[in-house]
Amino acid sequence: MLDDIASLSLQAAIGGLATRQRVTADNIANVETPGFTARTVEFESSLAKALAGGDPAQARVGISPSDAQAGINGNNVSLDTEIVTATKTGLQQQLLTGALTSKYGLISTVLKG
Amino acid sequence: MFDAISTSGTGLTTYRTWLDVIANNIANVNDVSPTSGPAFQAQYVQAQPIDGGPDGAGQGVAVTGLPSSSAAGVLEYDPNNPVADANGYVRRPDIDMSEQMGNLIMAQRAFQANANVVERSTDIYKAAIDIGKGI
Repeated sequence: MLDDIASLSLQAAIGGLATRQRVTADNIANVETPGFTARTVEFESSLAKALAGGDPAQARVGISPSDAQAGINGNNVSLDTEIVTATKTGLQQQLLTGALTSKYGLISTVLKG
Repeated sequence: MFDAISTSGTGLTTYRTWLDVIANNIANVNDVSPTSGPAFQAQYVQAQPIDGGPDGAGQGVAVTGLPSSSAAGVLEYDPNNPVADANGYVRRPDIDMSEQMGNLIMAQRAFQANANVVERSTDIYKAAIDIGKGI
């Protein structure tokens, strides 16, 4: 009952967003490190595919180097993009955790009768 | 747990170190030393990324050293200076103020960006902790 498709996909997405936030924190920590290549996180398409196959647990979180143009010191972190990602990820995370809480609330209502 | 906050923490430490070093360089910009000794040497921060965990996400940045600029400095003719040599020369540090001020702004902005991510990440972890709250 607690591992229906909705809860599992919410959990997978929350995990993906947590990874994205970690990677964003790393990119920003290295915003002035010469030769540093930023990383990006992609899990949405994998989750969509896993959902289409009926098993959200098959979703994978992929971390890949960014192909953005590097500056003169070989660093390609774009601070404005990273801050937008951090803010967006935070809001999405709140949305998903809220949804998961609502989902558990429904189950709790049923259990209480 | 709370990895994003510690990753940004390494950024805060690194850029705070950079700010400290710049402050020290600028504080010593007018130091005078005798030509027999070294001039004040400006310091620079050397940093490199901390390698990632098993999933490939990096874990921040670390200061690996504080290299110093040349001890030769610049010779200046200042015969009235008490430390001047027989020919009237003293040694002053070769510090480029515009370079230091430029670095100061870079370090300050990078510090602020990391502080911002600490806040965002705190919100995320708080949201995660609150899953199922009030049920």
